[in-house]
This record gives sequence, structure tokens and C-alpha cells, in this order.
Amino acid sequence: MSSNINFKTLWQQQAVIEPDMKDLMERLQQFKKSNINLLIRTNISLITTSLLIGIIWYYYQPQFITTKIGIVTIILAMVTFLLAQNKMFAQFKKIDNTSDNHQYLQNLLVIGDKQRFLQHTMMNIYFTMLLAGICLYMYEYTSRMTILAGIITYTVTGAWIAFVWFYLRPRTIKKQQARLDDLISKFEGINRQMLDT
Amino acid sequence: MTFDEIYKTYWQKIFRLCLGYVNDFDWAKDIAQETFIIVWQQLPNFRNESAIGTWIFRIATNNCLRQIKKDKRISKAALPVDLQEEKQVSIEPQIRYLYQCIAELPETDRIIISLELEDVRQAEIAIITGLTEANIRVKIHRIKEKLSQKFKTYEQ
Repeated sequence: MSSNINFKTLWQQQAVIEPDMKDLMERLQQFKKSNINLLIRTNISLITTSLLIGIIWYYYQPQFITTKIGIVTIILAMVTFLLAQNKMFAQFKKIDNTSDNHQYLQNLLVIGDKQRFLQHTMMNIYFTMLLAGICLYMYEYTSRMTILAGIITYTVTGAWIAFVWFYLRPRTIKKQQARLDDLISKFEGINRQMLDT
Repeated sequence: MTFDEIYKTYWQKIFRLCLGYVNDFDWAKDIAQETFIIVWQQLPNFRNESAIGTWIFRIATNNCLRQIKKDKRISKAALPVDLQEEKQVSIEPQIRYLYQCIAELPETDRIIISLELEDVRQAEIAIITGLTEANIRVKIHRIKEKLSQKFKTYEQ
């Protein structure tokens, strides 16, 4: 047994489910919907926050330049994050599906490396801008408080910022990188199989 | 060829290829369907530079290679034995064993042997994978040897 013909016969005898055009079309609709949903989900919270800040600006009419710079910085941080996130999301989709396996793997690896860099840099920029923006924004309102209240407000915010910067930021970056590193190393593994003769 | 014709002609081949890759009925169906969604999207761009079969197999195999992104699903899906699924899976234990053996091979070997067993010419397999024909020949020989070994111990 185990000759060429036998493997082929065995292989082709495997029962398969029948093609079902209706099922496929339903899947296609689902696929389109889930893509749009994902995009909405990633963007909606950021857009809402930015809108909220815009509304605050409009209604409370900040007097100090620091407040305005703060608001702009926060919005910019979010917009940059949003753009980078959307760009990364689109990158994997842009790979040419019709190239040969070897080329395809190479493309996956290149994109993986790019994302690694982008993710790391972006997260640092995002956190820096966000935290700087919040500090500037707060200044006008705390300056109207009593000294003690001001000190308390800044201490609490400072502690929160320290927590975000020293705990949350490295943790988020590490988690994202680990996922990507895992992916990259798997693609590299397959790539090595290809080159192995 | 219209999409309808392509779908009917290639569905079974693509499904088997995916099944050989993951050895999981539902998952294979998912990958095969995803493949045809890509085919449907990309069909207007198909320029007849290669045979339509080669083109579709490239999409399918690339899609298989991408599945490691969802690798965690395999451990989850493998744990409970789905009874409904059991009915659909071939009753022939040898066939099941073959698919199991293939799914245990390294990723590229799975693709190469599945294409070979699907009667795709070696020159075409080379175009699909991006390897040389000589390389494909050697690899197929080795994979078949490996499978034969496994079958020998299985039959004993």
C-alpha cells in the first residue's frame, strides 16, 4: 500500500460538503458588515471623546492659551492614534493575495516588522501627547481653586499619569508586541521551511 | 469563466486542501469560504497571466498560511468532540488518518502534498508556492516517504 495512487485515491475520496452559493453570499454580506463594524468600533470612542472636548471648548470658552493648547494636543493625540490604527488595519488587507506563497510570506513579514515599529512609536507618542495635553488643559481650572485644592488635584493627576506611564504604557506595548512577535516568528518559521531543501 | 462556474468547479478541491491543512471540518469550511470571497473580490483583476486554477490555488494556500493568526482557535476547537461534525467526517478511517497525518506536517509540506494529491502538476505547484520545480519534486518525494512510514506503523 502507500503508493502514489493510493494516497491520491484516499485523498479524493474524502467526503466534502456541497458548494452552497446562498451560504457563501450570506457569508459575504456578514464579512462586509463585520469589516464596517470593526472600523466603526475602533473609531467611535475616539471621535466621541474628541467631539466632547470640542463641545467643552465651545461652551466653557477657556481663557488661557494653555487650555487651548491642551485641548488641541489631546485631540491631535487621538487623531494620530486613530490614523495609525486604521493604517495598520488596512495594511494586512492590502497584501496581494494572488502572489506565490513565498512572496506572500515575505510581504507578511515586512508588514509585521513595520507594524512592530509603528506600534511602539505610536503608543509612546500617543501617551506623551495625551498626558501633556491633560496637564495643560487642567491648569486654567486648577488655578481658580485654592492652593490646597490645586495641589491635591495635581497630585492625584500626577499619580494617575505615573500609573499610566510606568505601568499601563509599557504593559500595553509589551502585550501588543508579544502578539506581533509571536506572529512574526511563526511566519519566519514557515519561511524557513520554504527555503529548506 | 463566471464566478458561479469557478465556485462549482473548485469548491471541492479547495475544501479538501483546507481540510488537509487544518484537519477540522468547520474550520476548513471557513477558510474555503473566505477563499471564495477573495476570489469573488479579485476576479475582475484576474488577467489570465496564469491558469485560473493556479490563481485560485494561490489565493487558497496564502489564506491557509495566514491561519496561524487564528491558531489559538485550534486548541479550543479540538477539545470537545462535536457529534454533528462526526457524521459528516468520512467514515473511512484510512482517509481520516491520511488527513490527520497531513495536518501534522510542517505548513508548507501540507500545501505541497495537498496540491500533489489534488492532481496539480508539479510545475504548477512550483508557480503556486514560489519554489523551483526541482525543489518541489524533492519535497514531494520526502513527504510521501514520511506518509508511507506513518501508514506502515498505522497498519501494523
